[in-house]
Amino acid sequence: MLTLAIDSSTDNLGLALMESGQLRGEFNLSLKRQHSEKLLPLMEEIFELLEIEAKDLDGAAVATGPGSFTGLRIGITTAKMLGRIFAIPVKGIPTLEIMAAGAAGAYRLALLDARRERVYYAFYQQPEADSDDFIKEIYPPAAVRIAELPEVLNDYSQKQITIIGEKKLEVGKVLKASNFSIKYGEPESDLPRAAVLARLGENYLKRGQKDDIYQLKPAYLKKPQAEINWQQKYGSN
Amino acid sequence: MGVEKLKYKDKLKNKNEDIYILALESSCDETAAAVNKNGLEVMANVVSSQVEIHKKFGGVVPEIASRKHLELLLPVIDQALAEAGIKFEDLDAVAATSGPGLVGGLLVTLTAAKTISLALNIPLIGVNHIAGHIYANFIANPEIKKPLLCLTISGGHTDLLYFEDLRGYQILGRTIDDAAGEAFDKISRFLGLGYPGGPAIEKAAQTGNEEAIDFPRADLGKSYNFSFSGLKTSVMNYVNNEKQRGNEINTSDLAASFQKAVVDSLASNLLQAVEEYKVESVVLSGGVAANQRLRSYLEEKLEKYNLKLYYPPLELCTDNAAMIGAVAYYQYLERDFAPLSISADPSLKL
Repeated sequence: MLTLAIDSSTDNLGLALMESGQLRGEFNLSLKRQHSEKLLPLMEEIFELLEIEAKDLDGAAVATGPGSFTGLRIGITTAKMLGRIFAIPVKGIPTLEIMAAGAAGAYRLALLDARRERVYYAFYQQPEADSDDFIKEIYPPAAVRIAELPEVLNDYSQKQITIIGEKKLEVGKVLKASNFSIKYGEPESDLPRAAVLARLGENYLKRGQKDDIYQLKPAYLKKPQAEINWQQKYGSN
Repeated sequence: MGVEKLKYKDKLKNKNEDIYILALESSCDETAAAVNKNGLEVMANVVSSQVEIHKKFGGVVPEIASRKHLELLLPVIDQALAEAGIKFEDLDAVAATSGPGLVGGLLVTLTAAKTISLALNIPLIGVNHIAGHIYANFIANPEIKKPLLCLTISGGHTDLLYFEDLRGYQILGRTIDDAAGEAFDKISRFLGLGYPGGPAIEKAAQTGNEEAIDFPRADLGKSYNFSFSGLKTSVMNYVNNEKQRGNEINTSDLAASFQKAVVDSLASNLLQAVEEYKVESVVLSGGVAANQRLRSYLEEKLEKYNLKLYYPPLELCTDNAAMIGAVAYYQYLERDFAPLSISADPSLKL
């Protein structure tokens, strides 16, 4: 089973190919806003280097965010089209889950900057030894003010939490001030890595867990600003 | 471009073979897919409009449009392929608008087209949206004779183009400052007539005397370029002077005189080119092409050359992908392919 992983949700542009548990290759490049120019050329290159053709793919995994709105659409459009053209299954995976699955520790807090003193966070734990899962979700991805995190994670204040991702030092300081026991993840786990996405994707697809490509969309976690403004002015709808 | 040509060299077709192109468009608030056979033969033309969604905001919201394009992408492609009765494997090339337009929206179909190109190993063609609107004329009126002149006039463009055939064009002149539609908008706003300015000025002008005020026509010598900023200043000065003198302004006369000055400027370059280039037809495109005074004046002037004036029918004036597919066909024949690294250009010029 050959799975392609595509991630353009953050500054990191990630591409990986996993073949039945074996990583064939991986790109992780911090490119910032060049994803549109670079994604397809890099995909062509990884295929050429590994002597693979697009039609050899058995499935695709794509990061669904949160992240840059435009970046998310680039990756998801690509995954949808591959799914449609080759009739292969596609699985969308939250960016924070990819980050957490690539880190170590019993409890993992994954973060992405949401600007203005806010972060996108998700909270995970190491699954039981006999589980097929790579990661177990406790709190799904959401946006929160950094100052509110101690309250959100209150039930876990006695556990050691590994913090990964953007704003980890800032968040760590706030949690420490509330007497949490924290640890920082290694720098390479601060980014969603394409190989981890490929591993998660293969695992989901193997178990028949795929998304409907017609319904698949980014986890924006934020309404368009115009919608927010409109609702503030006129109420909902 | 050379690399792309080599990449597909074993499978490229020539003019005497049937060429099928899937074209995609999402530059503003329509998500569209079309299948064209040999350029002007439209096998399917699917347009999903978001007009209703944006209405409550009083204009197109780029982020909302982009989100909607992503949702509508597969349904419009599926419908276009189904209506055309062809499969992905039958396609000879894939095309998408690369600009101008809203960058977030453009990137949805441009990325989709890149993926199709890579997946099927067929050429990718990046098309200029403005060229698309010109080629909408050729779809609607396949009898248009070449060579021809085309005047593209809108809020962002004032270009005079010469087409030897449909494979490409030469830009004879363009505006050196404001576009014609922009001049209409600015003067309409200045006179409090509303937006968009073209229809507003035209309406006000209906009951006016177009010879009431003698506004200047820009004279750029032998060049085919246009200029409307001097005219704009002159209208504003006229209004301010009259107000200072305590005179009431006749908006209808003012609108009619201004409109005639724009029409004269556009017509004089076009007619000068008609004399020089010995064309068989004249084509208008762009929003300002809807101006009735411009049409009637040009029709009258072109009669003596025995030339017919063409303009696009209303249904092809809205954004669609068939017009993108038409341009793409001629780019295909020229082997004008885009690399997978092509990006959307929100202010792409002709």
